[in-house]
Amino acid sequence: MGGFLSSVFGSGEDAGTESEPSRLIKFSSSARWQLHYNEIKESNKLLVVDFSASWCGPCRMIEPTIHAMAEKFTDVDFVKLDVDELPDVAKEFNVTAMPTFVLVKRGKEIERIIGAKKEELERKVSKLRA
Amino acid sequence: MSVPGFEGFEKRLELRFFDDDNSITSNPMGLRLIDFESLDQVLNEVQCTVVSAVANRSFDAYVLSESSLFVYPTKIIIKTCGTTQLLKSIRPLIHLARNLGLTLRACRYSRGSFIFPKAQPFPYTSFKDEVLVVEESLPKSLCYRKASVMTPSNNPSRAWHVFTASADVESDEPVVVVEVCMTELDRVNARSFFKRKGDEKSNSDSAGKEMTRLSGIDNINANAFICDFAFDPCGYSMNGVDGDRYSTIHVTPEDGFSYGSFECGLSLYDDGHEDISEVLSRAIDVFRPSDVSIATTYGGEEYNHEVTKRVERVLAKKLGLKCRSRLMDVFPGSGTVVYQSFTPRRK
Repeated sequence: MGGFLSSVFGSGEDAGTESEPSRLIKFSSSARWQLHYNEIKESNKLLVVDFSASWCGPCRMIEPTIHAMAEKFTDVDFVKLDVDELPDVAKEFNVTAMPTFVLVKRGKEIERIIGAKKEELERKVSKLRA
Repeated sequence: MSVPGFEGFEKRLELRFFDDDNSITSNPMGLRLIDFESLDQVLNEVQCTVVSAVANRSFDAYVLSESSLFVYPTKIIIKTCGTTQLLKSIRPLIHLARNLGLTLRACRYSRGSFIFPKAQPFPYTSFKDEVLVVEESLPKSLCYRKASVMTPSNNPSRAWHVFTASADVESDEPVVVVEVCMTELDRVNARSFFKRKGDEKSNSDSAGKEMTRLSGIDNINANAFICDFAFDPCGYSMNGVDGDRYSTIHVTPEDGFSYGSFECGLSLYDDGHEDISEVLSRAIDVFRPSDVSIATTYGGEEYNHEVTKRVERVLAKKLGLKCRSRLMDVFPGSGTVVYQSFTPRRK
């Protein structure tokens, strides 16, 4: 019963390694993503959505940086969505190139970075988290 | 010049792999599955590094400290400038591909003529030595080989060097590759590619975006997503991504050895895409150079003389550039190469 409930209401899957949990949350279910998104809309928290794909080289390249940023900016929510697992969400956010980072606050997109641009992403997250 | 400036002219390597039943149907992503650490190691051998990257469903595009890298499922293109050791990438890339079950089908190595040939390390001091090194790195299965130096009579110091090796005698590569090399860039236009004073420490991604806009590079192909990068204190690179078509621009703006390159891969007969002459005209207009050379490689596409003539007509009419030399050569398994040289009409 508990297992069933947590799979309905629980948060996303941990995107971290086996040795350490990561603050980067991965959603493979559209429903669970929607739940999380609706929840965070109510707060002032900055949400960074990382749209990537398993076969995308540049996405794999910047992955360690995203994990590090999630550890560093603990007041920011980091979510990873795979465009093949959640094509409807990718379409909704108009994602055509990868990785695409969409920065959202109060349910509104405030910034978008397309490409594995470490410096720019770090700068913008740092600036917009307040 | 007692001290050589930066060498803008690139060395270009293209490796194509067989679309084997075993490998590609089991994973259609092919070469894109090579892990980044391995790619990074290869680039380390070549003496360059990734500074920016983006991908779409068709390919991965990396902007390097010295030009660009494109990874398609069965094709890799690396283009590097300066004094990089590009040929050192051949063996490791063949090895990484083999680990994924991919067999090498064809190899093409090409370049223009260096502005500072004596500043190049071995084997890049002589095309004959480069050909030797490439040949030694390739398997015997690539048995159709040819090396050629295409030298314009009006400007022998701006020759085009090509070496190709292929397992097939016929190429079925549907892509036409156009490589434009420009020198003596207009000084005012070149200014767009210097970081503004006080901007030196500024973010290279946003400075790059500014240069793309200021120079008009964003108007060359409105459909392409541009991944750009600005170097310190000057210099610019970009990769354009438009469906399965790539484009790439690299600029060395310093007076005395200024250089700009534009390259794109396309299919000439794609509906809904613009005429190549218009695209080339817009790209060259960004730089207003005094010297332009265009090398067009018809992989498997039938050579189309009309396209060659149209490019000459459009460049003459729109940019006042007169074609001074037109050379052609055919490479077994790799197609036809046309090499045109242009200078302004007034000269």
